[in-house]
Amino acid sequence: MTDPAIRIATLSKKFGDTLVLRDISLEVPRGQVTCLIGPSGSGKSTLLRCMAFLEEPTSGSIEIEGEPLGFTGTGSARRRQSPAELRRVRGKIGMVFQQFNLWPHMTALGNVSAALRRVRGLPRAEAEARGMAQLDKVGLKERAGHYPAQLSGGQQQRVAIARALALDPTIMLFDEPTSALDPELTGEVLTVMRALADEGMTMVVVTHEIGFAASVAHTVCFLDHGRLLFHDTPEKVFAAPREPRLEQFLDTYLDRGAQMLR
Amino acid sequence: MSFDFAVILARGPQILAGLGVTILIWIAGTLLAAALGFLVATARRFGGRFVDLALSLPVEILRGTPFLVQIFLLYFGGPYIGLRLDPIPAGLIGLSVYGAAYYAEIFRAGYQSVPTGHVEAAACAGFSRGQTIRFILLPEMALLVLPPAMNMAVILLKETALLSLITVPEMTMTVSAIGSQQYAFVESLVVLALVYWALVELANLLGRLAERRLSTFGTP
Amino acid sequence: MTWTLFELLLQASLMTILVSAVSILAGLAIAIVLSAMRMSGNAALKGFAVVFISFFRGVPLLVQLLLIFNLLPSLGITLPSLATALIGLSLCTAAYQAENLRGGFEGVAPGLIESAEMAGFTRAQSFFWIRTPIALRMTFPALVNEAILILKASSLVSVVGLIELTKMAQNLAASTYQPLPIFASAGLIYLAINVVVAFLGRRAERALPGLPSA
Ligand SMILES: Nc1ncnc2c1ncn2[C@@H]1O[C@H](COP(=O)(O)OP(=O)(O)OP(=O)(O)O)[C@@H](O)[C@H]1O
Ligand SMILES: [Mg+2]
Repeated sequence: MTDPAIRIATLSKKFGDTLVLRDISLEVPRGQVTCLIGPSGSGKSTLLRCMAFLEEPTSGSIEIEGEPLGFTGTGSARRRQSPAELRRVRGKIGMVFQQFNLWPHMTALGNVSAALRRVRGLPRAEAEARGMAQLDKVGLKERAGHYPAQLSGGQQQRVAIARALALDPTIMLFDEPTSALDPELTGEVLTVMRALADEGMTMVVVTHEIGFAASVAHTVCFLDHGRLLFHDTPEKVFAAPREPRLEQFLDTYLDRGAQMLR
Repeated sequence: MSFDFAVILARGPQILAGLGVTILIWIAGTLLAAALGFLVATARRFGGRFVDLALSLPVEILRGTPFLVQIFLLYFGGPYIGLRLDPIPAGLIGLSVYGAAYYAEIFRAGYQSVPTGHVEAAACAGFSRGQTIRFILLPEMALLVLPPAMNMAVILLKETALLSLITVPEMTMTVSAIGSQQYAFVESLVVLALVYWALVELANLLGRLAERRLSTFGTP
Repeated sequence: MTWTLFELLLQASLMTILVSAVSILAGLAIAIVLSAMRMSGNAALKGFAVVFISFFRGVPLLVQLLLIFNLLPSLGITLPSLATALIGLSLCTAAYQAENLRGGFEGVAPGLIESAEMAGFTRAQSFFWIRTPIALRMTFPALVNEAILILKASSLVSVVGLIELTKMAQNLAASTYQPLPIFASAGLIYLAINVVVAFLGRRAERALPGLPSA
């Protein structure tokens, strides 16, 4: 298998008349961590959401492990995938949102096992055993019976990660997973993400945590005004920023981790 | 089986008379209910703890029992304690008292929504209690109170149909009487339902217009 | 007014409770279907739901009950009065409950639906397992309120011949010439049932999982 995890080709996205993503091409290699950085409003979330087809690209194409996502065919033969086909391709992707988006009427274990039961049709005991294993992995086994409202933000986000992992995705997408958290809670989430990266999970992470990007990412992509200005290893991006826009951005967002690298 | 609406519609003037009674009782009953409810809420707000507690009892009883039982009690039970009322006054009193309990709660919530600081500021500025209610409290709570008050008015419109059961000659009684005279009961009820539906939608529309009108005054 | 009379009222109140409870639950099920129709892309389904809700909220329950009671036989359908009462009350409360649920469904954060989509839920599965329980949770106080309204409104099913609390009171009042104590007792029984329902509702509201503020 030579196909990359995600292949994005000449992708553009408009909201009404505003062009939010302009002609983006990018390959996300398997087993690697790719971080998306850039100023607010530059289109990072939109690009990530396109990778899950939560936003529909206006033009261009996205392939997940060689299979088209959302649309099949090109040019005049381009067609919307059927919902079932879309669900099948999407099944390879797990998504973690900035606002956690845990279902409030289910316990932590309920959140993690719901899709296994309702979508995959596993018996309750098996679904819950697998859910429990995922909760254990993010260190929340003893909180299995808690409802989201009874968990801290950091715990909620770890449950959300476990919920995505329970469906055995090969690719994990993260949209600013720590920005809604108090600073003292970001560490526990980043630790879980680091462990996941060490296991060789393919990850795309939108983040303002430059320290995390610098130490974990294999590739850092810099978006500005909907354009992919720059993508390279973190060493190159952070140690010797050649682009003035990137330099300006880093001056604003730099945290200690990146400062040490510099 | 076939339906014949002509025999019902031929009695147009009678239907209109019933409609007239429905609308008059509804409007009079709603205004009385709102006024009485306002008095109760005001007494509870300013009358001290004892008045508040004493008035909460009738309000809760009226809100916890069916309107039908209330009017039966008034109309059929009243004469046993010397309260002999004709159907129309009995219906009007019943509707007003029942509605008053709900309006009292609506105005109570309205009073509670105004920060005490505003009332204190009015007192410092030398406003009397009456002036404070009129110039500070009422305008401030108007926007909050209007939607539930309009909603209650629509509920009272529908409740007027129950007055037919104590022989108030309003629309339900008139039209169903025509229906049974003409052996066209289903038709009469269809006409009745459509007229009520139109009235309620009209009242809802007026309510929305009033809300929009009021909200343009821009109460914060 | 004797204890025997009061006992008869108490017995009849069981019918009131039964009719109200069944109607509330059946009405809830219909209300969920109506909500799904209203939110569907299909214009015919949507239109049906909108007209249904507007009609049953726009016509007095008394007129609805009389209409159903007289319409069904003229269409050749004869039902016992209990069934007629249940149909009438359920359809009526369904319309009100659908209107209550509307706010709940609109309040479900889009991200919660997206995360269901990402977990592989179909639209129908997401509606059933995610959106509906959350909407129900958010509008639970309105459901308790509706239960109290229906308990009171069930007094009207006396017009279709069902002997529940109000009809029993009417019968007893007519035969004993004691309308005052009898209707007052009936009122007290309604009040007591409603106080209990409100109390249980508040207990349940506190026991249900909370909604995160985020
Ligand atoms: N649903 C939408 N409708 C219209 N415009 C949108 C929508 N979503 C995003 N946009 C616009 O698209 C642009 C890119 O938004 P996006 O959320 O992708 O930025 P971002 O890089 O993730 O920013 P942030 O760091 O603040 O999260 C912004 O200008 C935003 O206003
Ligand atoms: Mg974003």
